[in-house]
Amino acid sequence: METSLTFSKEIANLLYAQHGNPIKDCIQCGTCSGSCPAVEFMDHSPRQIIAMIGADMKDEVLTSNTYWSCASCYQCNVRCPAGIDIAGMMYGLKRYTMWKDDYKENLVGPHFAESFMKMIMRTGRSFEPVLAPTYIFKLDAKDMFQEALMATSLFFKGRMSLVPKKIKRLDNFRNIVKRIIPFGGTA
Amino acid sequence: MKKFAYYPGCSLESLSLSYHQSAIESTLALDVELNEIEDWNCCGATAYFHADELLAHTLVARNLAIAEKDGLDFVAPCSGCYKNAYFTNQQLHEEPDLADHINYALEEDNLHLDGTINVKHLIEVFIDDIGLEQLKSKSIHPLEGLRVAPYYGCQLVRPRKDGENVENPQFFEELLSAIGAEPVDYGTKMRCCGGSLIMTNREAALDMVFQLLLDAAKQETDVIATICPLCNVNLEAYQKQVNQEYKTEFKIPVMYFTQLVGIALGIDPKKLGIGKELISSGELEKFASKETG
Amino acid sequence: MSEKVGVYICHCGTNIAKTVDVEDVATWAGEQPNVEIAREYKFMCSSLGQDLIEEDIKEKGLTRVVVASCSPHMHEKTFRTACERAGMNPFFFEMANIREHDSWTTDDKPAATQKAKALTKAAVDRVVHNQPLEPIPVEINQNTLIVGGGIAGIASALELADAGYHVYLVEREPSIGGHMAQLDKTFPTLDCSACILTPKMVDVGQHPNITLLTYSEVEKVEGYLGNFSVAVRKKARYVNEEHCTGCGICIEKCPYKVIDNVFESGLGVRKVIYRPFPQAVPKYPVIDTDNCVYFQRGKCKACQLFCPTEPNSIDFEQEDEILQIEVGNIILATGYDLFDVSKIPQYGYGRLANVFTSLEFERMVNASGPTDGKIVLRDMETPPKSVAIVHCVGSRDENYHKYCSKVCCMYSLKFAHLVHERIPDAEVYNCYIDMRTPGKGYEEFYNRLLEEGTHFIRGKVAEVTDVARIDKEEGKLIVQVADTLIGKQRRIPVDMVILSPAMEARSDSKEISQLFKMGCDFDGFFVERHPKLDPVATMTDGIYIAGACQGPKDVPDSVSQGAAAAARVVSLISRGTVMMEPVRATVNQEECSGCRICNTMCPYNAIVFHEDRAVSEVITALCQGCGTCVAACPSGVISGAHFTNDQLFSQIEGILWDVHSEPELVTGD
Repeated sequence: METSLTFSKEIANLLYAQHGNPIKDCIQCGTCSGSCPAVEFMDHSPRQIIAMIGADMKDEVLTSNTYWSCASCYQCNVRCPAGIDIAGMMYGLKRYTMWKDDYKENLVGPHFAESFMKMIMRTGRSFEPVLAPTYIFKLDAKDMFQEALMATSLFFKGRMSLVPKKIKRLDNFRNIVKRIIPFGGTA
Repeated sequence: MKKFAYYPGCSLESLSLSYHQSAIESTLALDVELNEIEDWNCCGATAYFHADELLAHTLVARNLAIAEKDGLDFVAPCSGCYKNAYFTNQQLHEEPDLADHINYALEEDNLHLDGTINVKHLIEVFIDDIGLEQLKSKSIHPLEGLRVAPYYGCQLVRPRKDGENVENPQFFEELLSAIGAEPVDYGTKMRCCGGSLIMTNREAALDMVFQLLLDAAKQETDVIATICPLCNVNLEAYQKQVNQEYKTEFKIPVMYFTQLVGIALGIDPKKLGIGKELISSGELEKFASKETG
Repeated sequence: MSEKVGVYICHCGTNIAKTVDVEDVATWAGEQPNVEIAREYKFMCSSLGQDLIEEDIKEKGLTRVVVASCSPHMHEKTFRTACERAGMNPFFFEMANIREHDSWTTDDKPAATQKAKALTKAAVDRVVHNQPLEPIPVEINQNTLIVGGGIAGIASALELADAGYHVYLVEREPSIGGHMAQLDKTFPTLDCSACILTPKMVDVGQHPNITLLTYSEVEKVEGYLGNFSVAVRKKARYVNEEHCTGCGICIEKCPYKVIDNVFESGLGVRKVIYRPFPQAVPKYPVIDTDNCVYFQRGKCKACQLFCPTEPNSIDFEQEDEILQIEVGNIILATGYDLFDVSKIPQYGYGRLANVFTSLEFERMVNASGPTDGKIVLRDMETPPKSVAIVHCVGSRDENYHKYCSKVCCMYSLKFAHLVHERIPDAEVYNCYIDMRTPGKGYEEFYNRLLEEGTHFIRGKVAEVTDVARIDKEEGKLIVQVADTLIGKQRRIPVDMVILSPAMEARSDSKEISQLFKMGCDFDGFFVERHPKLDPVATMTDGIYIAGACQGPKDVPDSVSQGAAAAARVVSLISRGTVMMEPVRATVNQEECSGCRICNTMCPYNAIVFHEDRAVSEVITALCQGCGTCVAACPSGVISGAHFTNDQLFSQIEGILWDVHSEPELVTGD
């Protein structure tokens, strides 16, 4: 009986239920990396991440910023000749690192996702000002100022509310979440 | 009168209020009623899927279930909400076990999802349900000479559904032509605006916005037309940041397609939320005031 | 009536004997009804083993033989022949597979032995019902039909014709030559394609044993191996072949030009009365009536006016002719189509002017092509300073064709070489996923291209765009590709992009396969009888395939297959008569109700319906003995020879010999 899985098997299991072909079908053609609009800002290209997963390079993959720089534009998905759901793999890796609480330092992404979830549980709707603290302090002074300016302009144009909206049946909503995750979950 | 279950999405409440206003106004003028779904919740955007897939699908399913009560098709003006709703709907059809599990949870709000309604993006309503012929005939103030860049963005056509043209669709250009505008040959029309990376990886997102503005400027675009609130915000609200970062001087108005349709239909610009832009709508304002004045 | 069955249990060395207790099975078999003698032996297929059978038949007067050993695919023929030698009808022999179906499937000895007994008993119980069948002789007509006049068809035709047999070569286009006639140089030797092809074309045109039917198509195929009756429509050329000398004055004088989308791939023009290319065989031109001013509006007639022959060779009244030909065998060599690259919009073909397909580029570099062999952009003037060649367009791709098209890496290298040769300072980029150069001299050719300074980028091109980001990219086509060897996304500005599209089956390959009653696979390529051992035969006797219609391949392989198909045909023709397996279905016409259910079910179209008597009949020679009609007949009046109900039911009961449960009768009281 296997007691520990290789990293590539772990990721394969994670993506098993998804609609694409398994990532071991990858022929390393590079179409995904060639299409990706954010690849210049990634430590490793999507293709490299797939190769690294295949080589069981768990640490390197988990500490890469690649999937947190994925915009889910799905351009890789529609072009991949092996029919792999690459964007789905990026989502899977994000969830994996959040579960394991193991990711590259100073990334905005994981904290943003966590804040987002908490915000939804609080009100049932999204409210931008709540999310601002997750990224605004990572900006330099000039950008922070620019951001504040923009927020002010938006406010004066009637596009920014200061009070979050709540859905009416918030309690039911929270109960729905509790039922989905019977053991308490992340709520 | 055609009716739809309208899901505005969180962005349309404040940030993209003009999209909401112009959507209601323009559809009404074309004999279509958008009935806002009662007590809808956030669809989870992309961020929720980063944390938990099952929870994310549940969030979407609640909205679908509420919409299903009236038996009307689900219409979302935001590409992100649309993509989430469409694929959650599809997945629940393909996996009855998952549907059962989620329905078990939905019982807490006295809801049940049978999967009887379809999911559409708002632009599909104009193209399929209203039809371009009708749109053309009702455009009493065609936007002649206005060079509009049709910015499709990502999640409207991707991931692929049923063999549709994902690389070079033409339906947005056709819609713009129907209202008299001149659609620009916008090579980057399918390229990502960065989406939520504007917050989580600003550097990447600004580069992506830059490429889109660069292409639009080269094509001598008067207005970039968008079909998603996040695309609109990234392209418009952050144009100043892009200029700062890349030492450019972009000043391209970015409007929602429903606002353009609204003007062509002769609706009062204020009702379409025109005037709420950070970057003045330049050419279009001239149009607007000239036409309705 | 009892029979005397000889049962032989083979050890097959240890293959069977290791798991099955062969002695036990033999002893047990000897006690079964109808069994005269039961033996076990180490290697039944050896000559000694066969001798055992033959001696027992003669000395013990055996009337049936069962061998329990390996798969019938291996040795059914061996043992049937042995029985025949001893004077017994070979169909009185049955085989029980106690190896592939038994000893090779398990380590459980008792279970294996029990199963061997069941299989042996089944064979014994069945064989007593076997009938003495005789193979069916079929005469083979010496003529052969070859459909498709490309290099494969030409090679095939010449082999057969040189062997002294008559061939009908039917070609849909006005001239033979196929796609190879469009090429400039061929890899890896860079032989001029026309120079090596045209002599063969001339041979075909002049060969006394070849009847060349160009501008013709097969309309109907009836019959079976050795006796095919084919209707060929010879389309009207509107040129009288008896009088035309091929002088070409009509072509010169024709005032109207159209874009040639077939031979010139849309890059060049031709006249309305035309020959596809100067070395066309036959030399007779053809009038394109869709564009001919006379046929559309009744004007012009310049060709007729200037034709110098007496009587005039232009015949506007000419009509299509239907020829009925009788042949013994048919070889399909219908070739391939090129994948439509506009299905991949991100490569810009059609939208961006300077994106070309491989066939367009071939015509461009061809010395007798529309640019006289000069490599130029769409403006037909400016030579490119940089060229990108994109491999795997539509191949190796789940979204289009999963398969690799085999030849594109080689011709992409060839293109790179031609650009280097004709524009010495040009930068050439080949973007590939894997470099596939397996043939003779192919890897050396790749090496040559490396030495010529080609930039090889290992990455599948993501998109070709004209949206420039920096000055260097302005006015250029930008190839965006991940260079996987350096691990970076690159944007390469070039003047010209050449796409290497997949080789596809012909767009009407499905219809063709139905016409000839054979199959094609999901990709549309014709299905060979066995992918490893029989690539030129099909499941339909008498129909063979050769060349790219069977799957993507280069010229040497097409020629080889053409010759192989010809060899197969020669072997049949030279025998004159062929003996066919008598395992066929027969309709009991007296009891047939004429429901015709069997007609449509037969996968080989082997059942005809006689309208006058309202009964169906199986054409024995076409029938392959699949048994579908036997099972489908609601009245049960079709019997399958060698698979009768008696035989099959006793076989089933034999297998179940050790199953003892009696069905319980549930009664009301």
